[in-house]
Amino acid sequence: MKRWRTPATLMLAAAVMLACSGQRPVAAPQAGASGPVQGGRLVYGLSADANGFNPVTDQFAGQSYSMAGTIIETLTAVDANGGWKPNLAESLTPNERHDEWTIKIREGISFSDGIGLTGDVVRANLEAQKASPLNAAVLAPVKAIELVDPMTVKVELKQPWVAFPYYLDAQVGMIVPPASLKDPKAASLKPVGTGPFLFKEYVPDNRMVVTRNPRYWRQGLPYLDEIEFRILPDSQTRAQTLDAGGIDAMGTSRDEDLTKYGAQQDAYTVHRSEGMAVAEYMFMLNTTVAPLDDLRVRKALAHATDRETVISTLRGGLTEPADGPWSKDSKWYAEGGDYPAYDLDKAAALVKEVEAEKGPIRFEMISTPDPNTMQGIELAQDMWRKAGIDVTIKQADQADLINRAVTGNFAATVWTQFSAPDPDGEYIWMHQAYSQPVGKVSLNFTRFKDKQLSDAFDVGRTDPDEAARKKAYATVQQRLRELVPYVFIDHLNTGSIVARTKVHGIGEHRLPDGEKGLPLTGSPIPYHPFAQLWVDAQ
Amino acid sequence: MIVVHRLVRLLVVLLVVTFLSYALLNLLPGDPVTQILGLSATEEARAQVRQDLGLDQPLLVRYLGWLGGLVTGDFGESYITRMPVASELAERLPVTLELLVAAQIIALGLAIPVGVAAARRAGRALDQALTALSFALLSTPVFVLGVLLILVFAVTWQVVPATGWTPISLDLGWNLTSVILPAITLGCGQLAVYARLLRTDLIATLQEDYITLARARGLSPRRILWRHALRPSAISLVTAVGLNLGALIGGTVIIETLFGLPGVGRLIVDSIFSRDYLTVQGGVVLISVGYVAVNFAVDLVYAAVDPRIRRA
Repeated sequence: MKRWRTPATLMLAAAVMLACSGQRPVAAPQAGASGPVQGGRLVYGLSADANGFNPVTDQFAGQSYSMAGTIIETLTAVDANGGWKPNLAESLTPNERHDEWTIKIREGISFSDGIGLTGDVVRANLEAQKASPLNAAVLAPVKAIELVDPMTVKVELKQPWVAFPYYLDAQVGMIVPPASLKDPKAASLKPVGTGPFLFKEYVPDNRMVVTRNPRYWRQGLPYLDEIEFRILPDSQTRAQTLDAGGIDAMGTSRDEDLTKYGAQQDAYTVHRSEGMAVAEYMFMLNTTVAPLDDLRVRKALAHATDRETVISTLRGGLTEPADGPWSKDSKWYAEGGDYPAYDLDKAAALVKEVEAEKGPIRFEMISTPDPNTMQGIELAQDMWRKAGIDVTIKQADQADLINRAVTGNFAATVWTQFSAPDPDGEYIWMHQAYSQPVGKVSLNFTRFKDKQLSDAFDVGRTDPDEAARKKAYATVQQRLRELVPYVFIDHLNTGSIVARTKVHGIGEHRLPDGEKGLPLTGSPIPYHPFAQLWVDAQ
Repeated sequence: MIVVHRLVRLLVVLLVVTFLSYALLNLLPGDPVTQILGLSATEEARAQVRQDLGLDQPLLVRYLGWLGGLVTGDFGESYITRMPVASELAERLPVTLELLVAAQIIALGLAIPVGVAAARRAGRALDQALTALSFALLSTPVFVLGVLLILVFAVTWQVVPATGWTPISLDLGWNLTSVILPAITLGCGQLAVYARLLRTDLIATLQEDYITLARARGLSPRRILWRHALRPSAISLVTAVGLNLGALIGGTVIIETLFGLPGVGRLIVDSIFSRDYLTVQGGVVLISVGYVAVNFAVDLVYAAVDPRIRRA
């Protein structure tokens, strides 16, 4: 008996090793001579799970759009030039004042549950979105939604709204079938839509699997048979999983990933956010509490902040300094209004002037406790100390920090925002109508009230002439530079998608009417459509 | 009788722990409504959701309401996902339990021979080497060890996947591959503790009179060690295993985050960050019950390990 023990143990160990080794079986794609090939499976790493997949009831972040966007489509889309284009809608036509939009729905589109997409379904979706506490503020200008004919819906607005179609490219424009509206809980777990993929499986905090929709309305799409989204919250092990071949692509915002994978062009492609999709990293100031209610103090902070040093220290020199909410490669960027440049002497002079009147300048800065953010705050703290400003740092988790921003219980905080495809997307965050006193819920977190800036936002919202809108948003940028409610640091264009070279089509999708779509959307980690992604035949 | 006594103790523990955790969670700054609705919600929408969830009620009223539901087996619904908390926990518990059991098997499977070998050669080169190894494992944070193991076994040798989870019901082989690295990572720290405990107790036992008598009777050192010294030396080890199992049900969050495992620890920590009070409460109940149950089982094991306890 004993002599059999060693061989038996070895055989058992071999069997376990055999079971534990090898690659997960995948469907082999059909070979194509060149260009996209049908078939294949993509495994895609995401940094977080979604709160749910119901666009009416669940708060969507980038990862929600990645996963739900394969199943549920939007009424409009944004093209590579930043303009809106019809998607599920065939057309969107405004009246002359732009306070009424007529949405004509494309014919011949069905949800995967067999229900046809009609004007009535779109009307019901928009009604549900307007009634949803998630989007009430965004859709506040909507007065009424009417069905004109079976395939046409009219949206009446309380005021002209030129950029209204841009909002239909996001959560409020995602269209679900009537069954999902009736049973929101089921829709949160098992999304149904008109999209290129069908829901197959979802395991919270683990994975979501979608399969090809054989009856997708855009002929020849999608190319992939299946996509598995893996939820991998740790950025380092997510990258290691890509190295090990466990995933084919992933979203990241780490500088080291850009550097590492950017240097391996034969094995990986790196797709970086650009234009309006790029968010800004900044220190957000509460302009209604002392000492930051004094413009001289806010200017002193900006003068004392050496953005180049922050970028070289924290971002490996990969980002661009910011002087406003829109990056320089966006068509909405405008110069003017001199943002306070780094000048320690000017900062010190302003501080002395204020101190002579009001005494020492001290305030508290809130930060999330992650090491990279803390490093940035400590760097700024040191820079400001050299100018004579005494800042103490208070750590708060994300939930606390956001709540403080909303209720005004802060002096200054680290903040990342402003990645809407159109400048009107920032209306509710900066317009004086959305500014409330400390203690009340305010969407204008800086509580900054400037008539000139707000009037300019109103022009941008109501004037259909692009030149007039550009001029208005130039005024917005000018006022932000002059009045410094935010100390801007950099445009966070490190948000990227890294993929193995066998994955093609990221950021190259075409919209239904043939235009090239906006490559990447959202921040800090961007997202993109999946219908036109394909993998090499192997 | 002992079961009734334990049940009463469990109820007291549950009441104290759940009330304290409920109160502490509510003292945390941050608002669950902001987490549910996001930044752009209006004051009116927030007030409505607060009322719908009963968050406008006093703390004690909410706690008693939750407790009343618990008595009928209703853990409540998650504020964020609106799923029943019980089903969310039930979905994740098998992952954490499998991870814990696998980690304990690895830790005990290695700690016993290592502890015995070190005790047998106490003070010699092997003992010193194993002691050094134990301290190295103890002082290596799990996130460092995890990343290192992924680098070696998943990236370089590619024998196991770096991250991810496959349930047993789907594929046993893939399930084993997805649990092996996390279990080793979690087990290594335990291994060092268990080996040190066993070594110390075993050295003491080996100096007992009955061991000297056994040696005098000519029993082989191996037989003395494994048949006569090991069992009475395992009391501390069993205690440590029990304490660890209970505590680790909710304490595996680093491992679960690192390896992308959908376990209970990750659910609880995510729920704390999103102020999802009811999910956290459900997790607290689960951990408390688990802790008491495991330690009850440990008491029974004591008697099996050492007959003197049974007789006492």
